[in-house]
Amino acid sequence: MKQSARLAYIHLAGRGTYAPAFFVNWRNHRAALIILLLFVFFVISVNKHDITAGIIYAVFPVMLITAGRLPIAPILKRLALISPFVLIMAAANPLLDTHPYIKINTMVISSGIVSGTVILIKSLVTISAVLAFTLCVPFYRICEILRDFRVPNVFVTQLVLLYRYSFLLVEEAMAMQKARNLRSFGKKGKDLFTTAKLIGSLLLRTNNKAERIYRGMIARGFNGELTKKKIDKIRIDEVVLTCAALLVFTLIRVIF
Amino acid sequence: MHMADALISPVVGGAFWIASGALIGYSAKKIAEEKDNSKTPLMGVLGAFVFAAQMINFSIPGTGSSGHIGGGLLLTALLGPYRAFIAIASVLTIQCLFFADGGILALGCNIFNLGFFPAFIAYPFIYKLIIGNKQSPGKLAAASIVAADAGLLMGAFSVVVQTLLSGISELPFGTFVLVMLPIHFAIGIVEGLVVWAVLAFVARTEPALLVPANAVKPPRLIIAAFAVAALAFGGIFAWFASSSPDGLEWSMSKVTGTEEFERAGNKVHDVLGSIQKKFAFLPDYSFKATETAATEHAQEKAEPASPVCPGTSVAGVVGSFLVLFMAGTIGFILRGRGAKPQTSA
Repeated sequence: MKQSARLAYIHLAGRGTYAPAFFVNWRNHRAALIILLLFVFFVISVNKHDITAGIIYAVFPVMLITAGRLPIAPILKRLALISPFVLIMAAANPLLDTHPYIKINTMVISSGIVSGTVILIKSLVTISAVLAFTLCVPFYRICEILRDFRVPNVFVTQLVLLYRYSFLLVEEAMAMQKARNLRSFGKKGKDLFTTAKLIGSLLLRTNNKAERIYRGMIARGFNGELTKKKIDKIRIDEVVLTCAALLVFTLIRVIF
Repeated sequence: MHMADALISPVVGGAFWIASGALIGYSAKKIAEEKDNSKTPLMGVLGAFVFAAQMINFSIPGTGSSGHIGGGLLLTALLGPYRAFIAIASVLTIQCLFFADGGILALGCNIFNLGFFPAFIAYPFIYKLIIGNKQSPGKLAAASIVAADAGLLMGAFSVVVQTLLSGISELPFGTFVLVMLPIHFAIGIVEGLVVWAVLAFVARTEPALLVPANAVKPPRLIIAAFAVAALAFGGIFAWFASSSPDGLEWSMSKVTGTEEFERAGNKVHDVLGSIQKKFAFLPDYSFKATETAATEHAQEKAEPASPVCPGTSVAGVVGSFLVLFMAGTIGFILRGRGAKPQTSA
């Protein structure tokens, strides 16, 4: 995927403007993150031949997408660009595990085909759940939640700065690449070593930018922490929501 | 080389979350001890730089394809291991959340594979060792290429170990290693060449930007690394563990004549047993066969028998899609209650 398309998606998802009111609201963002982790944990614990359970767990992202009116096109685009590594691993199973697993009339479906399909289903379900979550929760809220979970401040600050400045630097890199392409004829100038100099120039610009940013931050009273927000205590409604989700995921697993 | 959630088991994912979390905590502690806030924005902006640099493609000679920089070793050479590890972890977190590059439970594995090896192994024990106290163009080239390649190869090997420990893939260890390592060896050479060219450019134009190799002490984390490696290898060797009874089982068999206690017919026990089977978080990946089918299968090993009733399986899959459809419908009904989201910032 082109980096500009990725940037546009970060811009869309990072705002987290889509949210099903019944599930993910401002107060419940923290519980939503725990529920997401629990969900992924349940999905990947599905037996490697259990197609039914894999499909049933897709209930969660499907409900989030429909109830939150999430834009389906960008999610589908990302699902279509599923990691080639996953595809190769899924494709290898039918070749390596040829034991018959299901027999429908004369057609025999091998165990490898079933386990490969389950790998694909698990991938699609977990990816769509994560994408749906990021479309519902603004990125700075995710950072606040991480701080609430006692994630080291350096890491949270790093995430905030990385998110903020990726837009700026990617635009700069795109401009540099366009300038290089306009001056290139055929493949001339697109080789590894010329590109490395381009990346080096970007690095020097980045360093200058970092110095200016630091002076600006110091002028605004920066002392190592971007926010002084107090850590929120655990609320009873968050616990109830998390327990309810845990119960639903467990019931799905038991029933199917 | 990003690991996906679908390829790991909960135990492997959880173990590497803990390992990577501990490394982030350790790195954060080390950074806090430095008491140098001036590098905080540099870390953030360099993380964004990796994103930006990844969009500048270069043609790979002899292949007709193009590639982009990974950035692990480059960040370490610019920031030192602790800050670089935090920066790499942050880049991988953003990639996981927004682009589905690697799963959320596999994030620990990815941070470990792409952050730990370049920052805490390749940089201090290969790059620094080659560069020595006096940097020269030749040493910089050798250090960049060897360290980048070694870091990537270790990461690729770690992917193989994690995947096989999870038991999801059918690929045998030898084949998997033979597929992964040569590919990543070639990728590592290209990555090393780019890192060298960028660092050489920076060394010529702004040498102060490079962290002096002798300014960074080797991390004591190597002990932790060995502990994790021991755990991983323990997991591998467990596959080849003796099928003979262990000490306790041997004692039991001598006393009771059986290696395991036979449980009495108990309804509660049976229900709990069936739930336990459903929640096999480290499943044995045997066929989900009924007892009768399993017995028949054992008796007719030569004849390919289907251990699962096809009717039930097909009905299950169709039923799953029906439930999905219902979930979508419920979602549509529920969304009527919420306010329409604003699409502008």
